Amino acid sequence: MKKSTYIYRGFERFWHWSQALLIFFLALTGFEIHGTFQLFGFENVVRWHDTAAWAFLILIVFAIFWHFATGEWKQYIPTTQFITAQFSYYISGIFKGAPHPTHKTIYNKFNPIQRFIYLGLKLLVIPLQVLTGFIYMFYIYPNNPIHESGLSITAIIHTLGAFALLAFVIAHVYLTTTGDTPLSSIKAMITGWEVIDLDEKEERQKNLQHAVDDSAAGYYRMDSNGIIQDVNEAWLKMYHCQDRTRVVGKHFSHTRDERNLKELEELVNRVMQGEFITGHPVTRKTFDGKEGKHLLSANPIVEEGKITGMEGFIMDIHDRDELMEHMYHTVRNSGAGYYRLNKDGIIMDVNEAWLKLYKYDHKDEVVGKHFSLTRRPEDIERLQQSFEKVLNGETISGKLEIRRCKDNSTGKHILSANPFCIGNKPMGMEGFILDITHLYDKT
Amino acid sequence: MLMIRKSQEKFIRLLVLFIAILLPWVLGAIYLNKTNVNEQIDSLIAVNFKKDTLPRVDHSKYRTLNKEFNTPQEVTEACLSCHNMTAQDVMRSSHWTWSREYATGKGDTIQLGKKNIINNFCIGVTSNEARCTSCHIGFGWKDESFDFADPLNIDCIVCHDQTGTYKKFPTDAGYPTSEEKVFDGKTFHAPDYTLIAQNIGSPTNQNCGACHFVGGGGNNVKHGDIANELNDVSKMVDVHMGADGGNMDCVDCHKTERHNISGNLYSIASVDTNRVSCESCHSEAPHNNKILEQHSAKIACQTCHIPSFAKVSATKMYWDWSTAGQFNDDGSMRVKKDSMGNITYHSKKGSFKWETDVVPSYNWFNGEAQHYVMGDEIDPSKSVELNTLAGEYKDKNSKIIPVKIHEAKQIYDNVNNTMILPHLFGKDSTAYWKNFDWQKAATTGMKAAELDYSGSYDFIHTVMYWPVNHMVAPKEESLQCIDCHSRESRLADLTDFYLPGRDRSISLDFMGFAMIILSAMGVVVHGLLRIFKKK
Repeated sequence: MKKSTYIYRGFERFWHWSQALLIFFLALTGFEIHGTFQLFGFENVVRWHDTAAWAFLILIVFAIFWHFATGEWKQYIPTTQFITAQFSYYISGIFKGAPHPTHKTIYNKFNPIQRFIYLGLKLLVIPLQVLTGFIYMFYIYPNNPIHESGLSITAIIHTLGAFALLAFVIAHVYLTTTGDTPLSSIKAMITGWEVIDLDEKEERQKNLQHAVDDSAAGYYRMDSNGIIQDVNEAWLKMYHCQDRTRVVGKHFSHTRDERNLKELEELVNRVMQGEFITGHPVTRKTFDGKEGKHLLSANPIVEEGKITGMEGFIMDIHDRDELMEHMYHTVRNSGAGYYRLNKDGIIMDVNEAWLKLYKYDHKDEVVGKHFSLTRRPEDIERLQQSFEKVLNGETISGKLEIRRCKDNSTGKHILSANPFCIGNKPMGMEGFILDITHLYDKT
Repeated sequence: MLMIRKSQEKFIRLLVLFIAILLPWVLGAIYLNKTNVNEQIDSLIAVNFKKDTLPRVDHSKYRTLNKEFNTPQEVTEACLSCHNMTAQDVMRSSHWTWSREYATGKGDTIQLGKKNIINNFCIGVTSNEARCTSCHIGFGWKDESFDFADPLNIDCIVCHDQTGTYKKFPTDAGYPTSEEKVFDGKTFHAPDYTLIAQNIGSPTNQNCGACHFVGGGGNNVKHGDIANELNDVSKMVDVHMGADGGNMDCVDCHKTERHNISGNLYSIASVDTNRVSCESCHSEAPHNNKILEQHSAKIACQTCHIPSFAKVSATKMYWDWSTAGQFNDDGSMRVKKDSMGNITYHSKKGSFKWETDVVPSYNWFNGEAQHYVMGDEIDPSKSVELNTLAGEYKDKNSKIIPVKIHEAKQIYDNVNNTMILPHLFGKDSTAYWKNFDWQKAATTGMKAAELDYSGSYDFIHTVMYWPVNHMVAPKEESLQCIDCHSRESRLADLTDFYLPGRDRSISLDFMGFAMIILSAMGVVVHGLLRIFKKK
C-alpha cells in the first residue's frame, strides 16, 4: 500500500542539506588548496575551508545528539539481508521495471546498501576527515619530536577522504532519481513527506494498536472463561474506573447489574460459538455503581483455528438514551468501521467493515480521496466542523451521522473521532463508526 | 479555505527550513569578512625602532686635529690620542682580522675568514693582497708580513669620514693615494686629512658601501641585494633605506658595540652569533594574522618580503674563469659588454652572466654554515659547494631563506683534487693578470698559501650561497600564498616536506580523479539505460 508519510523531520532535513552544502563547499575550497585549480585565491580558500570545517564540526555534534536522542541511529545498523537483492536490483532489476526489493518505512528508511554506505561515511570517512583536518590545522610544523614526515601522510589521507566523498556524492545524487519518480526522493528530503510503500499487515496492526490506545471507543478483550484480559483508557473512562488492575483478571460479570448480566452471558456464548456482534446497545454498571449505556461490538479471537476469547469495542451513547432504546431489536451490523484521515482531510485508510457500510468493493476506491466523498452535499459542512475540532485536539464520541454510500444511497451511523498525533502534533483524524441505519428504518 | 491555509503553512515551513540552512552561511560570510586580513592594523605601528644618538662633538674644535697631516697614520694617531682604548676594540673585530673561529667538520677549530677563504669571484686574498686589501680597514696589508698588532695601521677615516672625499686607492694595500693617480678611468686625489679629521662621525651608507656595495670588483657584483643605488632609492627598492621609506642607515640595523658590528654573511660567517634580525625592531608576531604568524616558525621574514633582489643594477650570477685569456686579434684586451653596460667577457677574468630583478633561490638555514677550507679534497665529479648552508625541514631551528646562488667555473688541482688559489694580481712575472699563464699563477698562489700543487690544473663548477637580506619590499609587494602554494612553487627545490598546493601524490590524484570520472560515467550510463529500457 502506498501512503504519503512524514518521513524526514525538520532537523534531519536541515542537517542533510547543510551537510550537502558543506561537503560541496569543502570540496571546492579543498581542491583549490590541493592545487587542482585556482579560483578564489589561496589565502581566501584556506580561511573559508577552516571556517567551513568548524561549521561542519558543530553540525556533526548536533547530528550525533539528534541521532541518539531520536533513536534514528538504529537506521544505520548494517544488515546483509536483501543486500544481494538490492545489488541485483540496481544491476538488472531496475532496467526491467522490477519493484524495489526492500521497502522504505519510517522505521526502515534505508536499504541495506545505504545502511552500509552511510555507516561507512559516519564511522570511517567523516571521522577520518575530521581527524586529519585537525592535524592539518594544528600540527603546522614539525617542531615536535614525534613527527618527522611532516604533513604528507595526513594530506594524502585527507585527499583520499575527499575523493571518497566526491564519488559518494555523485552516486548519491544519481540514486535519488531511482525513487517513484526521478524527483520524488529529493522532494521528500525538502518537504519531509514521501509516498512510501507500507506493509499492510504491519500497518493495520500498528493502526489497531494505536486506535485501541487513543480511541474514543472503549476496547476490551477477554479469554474463553470470560476473564477480562485488557481494556483501554476509553473503556476505563466509561466505567468510571481509574485503576486498570481492578478490571483486568476479573470476570466480565463485574461489568453488569444482575438484571443485565444474563443478556451479556448469552451474547458471550454466541460470540464464543463464532458469531460477530455489532452495534448492540447494552447497559453497563460503572465501578462507582452508576449505570451507563453503550453500543457494543464483539468478535471472537481466533488463534490457530480455535476460539480463545472475545474482543470488541464499546461506544458511549448516554446522550441518546431514547434513540438507543429502540435500537435493541433491529440492530444488524457488520462490525465497527474504522477510518483514518490525514490533516488535509484525505482518507488514508479504512477497514473492511467501513467499506461494507459504504458499499465499496475495494479500499483503493476511497483511499486518497477527500472525506467530502462520504457525505451528502448538505452534510459536508457539519463533518468539516467536526474534523476541524478534532484537529484542534477534541475527541468526538457517539455523534449521529448520515453517510453517503458509493451508490449515492444513505445510511446512518454513530461516529467516534479522535485526533492521531505524531509527537504532540495532530496529523489527522481517525475513529470508528457503528451502523444504526436499520434501527432508523424501523422507526 | 482550509486547503489554502494548509498550503500556506507548508510554504512557511519550507521557508523556515530554507532560512535555517542559509542563515549559518550568511553568518559565516560576515564572520570571514570581519576577520579579513586586508583590514588588519598597519603593522608598522609594531615597529620598535629608534636611531642611535651619539653625543654631539665638533671635532674641528680639537686642537690635536687642527694641524697638517702628512700620512694617514698621523690621523689615526690623533684619533687614538683621545680614543685611547678604541684600537683594542677595532683590532678584535672581523673588519680588522678578516678571520673568525671556525669548527671544521674534522673536529679542529681554525681561524677562517676573508683572509684565507676562497670564493668563486676573485678566489682568494693570499698572494693578491695589495688589490684585495684596498677594502681592509688598515694600511699596508700587502703580504703576510702585515703587522696586525700595530694600532697605527688602523684606517679610522675610511669608515668615519663625513666629507665623502676619502678613498683608498684600489691597488695600494689599503692606502689612499698620496698624489693624483688614475685607475680604471677614475681619478684618485690625495686626501685633505685635516678637513677629513675635523669632519668625522658615525658611518654613513657611503662609508659602508664604499666596500660592501662593490664587493667582487664592481657595483652589486657579489651580494645582489646591496649596491650603490641604496644611497638614493625609493622604498620600492628597499623599504628601509628608501628616502621615502624608513630612510635608514646601515648602522641603524647593524647595531655596533665597541666596534663589533652586528651582522653575519654566510659566504664567510659560519656560526649563529652576532646576527641582525628583523625581530629586533619588528615584533615576533607583526602580521595580525594567525596563519601568517604560524608560517614564521619555518619561513624567515626575508623569504616573503624580498620577492626579488638586484632590482636596479644587475648582479653577477655566473663567472667562467676557464674562458679567460682570450684577446682581440690585435693583441689588445678583449672586453665585451651587454646592452646594459655589464661586462660579459674580459680577457683577465673570463665570461660572466648578469641578472636584474632576480627571483631568489630558497634554502633551509639554521644559522650555521660550512665552508671549503683550502687544502680540503673535493669530489671532481660534482659541483663544489664553497659554502654550505646547514638546515633541513626536520631541524626545528631551520627556516627557509632567500639566497643568491653564484655559480662559477674556476681552477682546481685535478691530481690532488683541491681547489687552487691562483696568484692573479701583482707586478711579477707569474701574476695571471700580467702573464695569462694559469700554470705559473697556480704555482705561485699555492706556494704563498703553503699548499701542495701537483702541477696539473683544470676548471670545475663551483657554487656559493649568498643569503639575501636587503632590498626588503613594501608589504604590498610581499609574496602571495600561491607563490609557494602552487604547482609553480618558488620552493620547488625544497622537496623534504609536504607543501599544500605544491605537493600531491600523483598516483592518488590519478586514481581519485579516475574514480570520479568513472562514477560520473557510470551514473550517466546507468541513467541512460534506465530511460532506454523503459521505452
